Amino acid sequence: MGDALRFEGRRVAVEPGDTVASALYRAGVRTFTRSLKYHRRRGLFCMTGDCPNCSLNVDGDPGVRACTTDARDGQVVLRESGWPSAEHDLLHMTDRLRRFLPVGFYSKTFIRPRFVWGLAERVIRRATGVGRLPAGRAAGAKPARAVHVDLLVVGGGVAGLAAAAEAGAAGSRVMLVEERRLGATVWDARAVARIEALAQEATAAGVRILERHTAVGVYEGPFVPVVGPDEVLHIEAARVIAATGAVEAHAVFPGNDLPGVFLSRGAALLGVRHGVRPGRRAVVVATTDEGRTSAEALRSTGVEVLIHDGPVIAAEGSGRVRAVIIETPSGRERITCDTLVLSLGWAPRDALLRMGTDQEVAGAGEVVIPGCSLEEAEASGRRAANGRGEAASDVPTVPLASDGYVCLCEDVSLHDLEQAWDEGWRSSEILKRYTTATMGPCQGAVCGRPLAAFAGARADAVATAGARTTARPPARPIPLEDLAAGVDESIEQRTSLHDRHLELGARTERSGSWSRPTTFGDIEQEISAVRHRAGLLDVGTLGKFLVAGRDAAELMDRVFPVRVRDLAPGRSRYLVALDGAGYVMDDGLLAALDRGRFYLCSTSGGAPAMEAWLRDWIDRWDLHVHLLDQTAQLGAILLAGPNARTILERLTGDDVSAGALPHMRHAEITVADVPCRALRVGFVGEVGFELHHDRSRGPELYDALLEAGRPEGAQPFGLGALDTLRLEKGHLYLGQDTLPDDHPAKLGLQWAVAMDKPGFVGKPALERMRALPLERTMVGLRIDGEPRRGIPLLAGDRVVGRVTSSARSEAAGGTIALGWIRAVDGAFPTELFAGGSRTTVVPTPFYDPEGARVHA
Amino acid sequence: MSLMVPCPRCGPRPQEEFTFGGELRALPAEDVDDFARVYLRRNAPGPQPERWFHAFGCRRWMSLTRDTVTNRIDPDVTPSGG
Repeated sequence: MGDALRFEGRRVAVEPGDTVASALYRAGVRTFTRSLKYHRRRGLFCMTGDCPNCSLNVDGDPGVRACTTDARDGQVVLRESGWPSAEHDLLHMTDRLRRFLPVGFYSKTFIRPRFVWGLAERVIRRATGVGRLPAGRAAGAKPARAVHVDLLVVGGGVAGLAAAAEAGAAGSRVMLVEERRLGATVWDARAVARIEALAQEATAAGVRILERHTAVGVYEGPFVPVVGPDEVLHIEAARVIAATGAVEAHAVFPGNDLPGVFLSRGAALLGVRHGVRPGRRAVVVATTDEGRTSAEALRSTGVEVLIHDGPVIAAEGSGRVRAVIIETPSGRERITCDTLVLSLGWAPRDALLRMGTDQEVAGAGEVVIPGCSLEEAEASGRRAANGRGEAASDVPTVPLASDGYVCLCEDVSLHDLEQAWDEGWRSSEILKRYTTATMGPCQGAVCGRPLAAFAGARADAVATAGARTTARPPARPIPLEDLAAGVDESIEQRTSLHDRHLELGARTERSGSWSRPTTFGDIEQEISAVRHRAGLLDVGTLGKFLVAGRDAAELMDRVFPVRVRDLAPGRSRYLVALDGAGYVMDDGLLAALDRGRFYLCSTSGGAPAMEAWLRDWIDRWDLHVHLLDQTAQLGAILLAGPNARTILERLTGDDVSAGALPHMRHAEITVADVPCRALRVGFVGEVGFELHHDRSRGPELYDALLEAGRPEGAQPFGLGALDTLRLEKGHLYLGQDTLPDDHPAKLGLQWAVAMDKPGFVGKPALERMRALPLERTMVGLRIDGEPRRGIPLLAGDRVVGRVTSSARSEAAGGTIALGWIRAVDGAFPTELFAGGSRTTVVPTPFYDPEGARVHA
Repeated sequence: MSLMVPCPRCGPRPQEEFTFGGELRALPAEDVDDFARVYLRRNAPGPQPERWFHAFGCRRWMSLTRDTVTNRIDPDVTPSGG
């Protein structure tokens, strides 16, 4: 037995070269879909992926166009529209109820009383639709890849391949993307042979040809996203050539959507390429040379062909074409047939050209010269490669008959457009919005021109009323999940202790781009360990910079408000970083090293901006400074608590006593054979040593500290405990507690600003603001209730501020918080309510206000 | 939108790799109140000198001229000294 796909439980044989559509048609399937609104039968029409008529569910994916999908053995294919089935669709009665479902009916019926719409919407949503989303499948699995080329050619026909080959031979880096396989949508053997020859020429010229890759749109750049079967490409091209070809024009007449009505290229593809006769007796209405040629080709496949060039008045039949009425010189004539083949003109696939009007996008081949010969197409491609693209030719539209479907995707008939026109929607753009014509999966490829022609014929007073509607991405329908390609590719930064944390049972969280431990089990116990014994915290995420060079001190002095000139080697100071407006951007620690160098620590999240900030000033002031970002190179562990020094002394021969290494001093010491820069800091409010070390030595240092700390009751802690520990000391988390326009006075950080320095960034702004009354300030709070962050602070019934951090604190004996409040009548209120709980403004720190424990 | 920035160290790279540093303006004298510099932007259409930082590349600044209407960047880019 040969290859076969499964179609609704039935076995359908697959011949070599088959698409899903051609295999099903050979097996006798004529109704491929039911239309969106009236549930009319729809069958194969274009065979080139330009219309919505053959959208099926293939292997679980909804909305797959069967005519451009290669058939494979074992494929599972379903029709999704219609109830109970596409073949026997009871919802077809909506076609009889048309006068009760006028255009835009959902905007004007079922809307009163209001609850009715909720019910109606559910029914309407179930009755319409072109498929169901697969449940439980993760989206965005495809990776996104950036590609840079000199020239991107969209479309692998004769013109596109010629353009690519020509540009490739001239030395350009060229990529060509083709939606299908090369030549798959061409029925003429001569064209197929030319495509093969040109593909060889292009490949030899170094052109990268990607089949089954669809260009989605043209964005500024030009930038073209391209969707492939396994990836999404973000293509930056210096130039784009759209060689996307043309589809035959859609004709509007009664019965124009019946199964059995084909575009001539579609009929020829079925008959010639796939060996499937579209019908027994076909009326071919052709006004183009190609249409007459393809009619002869169709005849050679054994179809009885009657060629006419007169206008089509109507197609008749119920469920499929039975007869055609055409206009002949001797009057109207009714011809019995089962197939109607149309070749009445062209609809260039010009969406990319129209999206890229102010970009470097040129057209080549049929998209600009519809109906051109192979030789013309090739010449046009070569011209475009050499920078001489041509303007799009004017395409006459097929005259509209009395009725018929304009938009196949959204089921909009000429009658609907007329009704909308009478209601006052009188230009193509608003007709589009009201009727949703051109808004379906084909994105106006079929209906865009007829819609514009409809409006243009009626609105001669306003020239723009009949213009084509704006072309927007996506130019071709793509799965929603492809829009999400690459979004999961975020960077997670880890310190060298990451694996150790996991071994110790840490629960981690994302803090900026870093993965950090929240807790190792019990936050309360971790807080207690730091306050009464000792704790270990990985602070390797901190920004760490070495500042060296002749002008290092000058840079620090002029950028930061901290006093730098009297900072002796071995000492460090807290610093805030201000922007030009005097607002606090970041905070950290500045440690003076020997030989005029500095070691600067910023917050974990602020490190990238800190580096850019400093480099900008080095450059702008033309200073001689070397800035080395050591954030990733160095790890850091905070050892803090009353027993911290005892633990450290077990591992080092260096003097770390309070006399040798007091608070806010630092020294180079060796801990467990690991060279460290030990900085005395007090963020958590206990004796603290920050041990900065080479990242590669992190795990062994951590292990040694844990081991030496065990008899002293030391244990690792995470961000959960840190949040309470620092809050008890009244220390701010920049970004969480602060707002973007907080200057030091609002935060109570005036002590960190040396206003008597000659000048620093933000100083003039601070001087200006000093003259203004303080309208908002950061305060410590005690709440008689549960800790809650982010809630408003009320004075009486007025909202005067917000709680930014809060926690239940054992050390402080109750719920403590930080928050900001506004002045009321020139004074800051002290008695407040937060979430219904009495709240009092109190001085900070809440714990150890004299700092005796930090200095111990 | 997508824009290629001609980094003098790394070559043309997509704009997503860069941090925009705003309009390049003359530095004020140190003690002068730089109210206009801090709060006011020229925001004019046409060629504008700008600062760009190659955050996901060489991590260096550059000064370049971009047309704010067409987004064309003048290929003549000045690398920073820092």
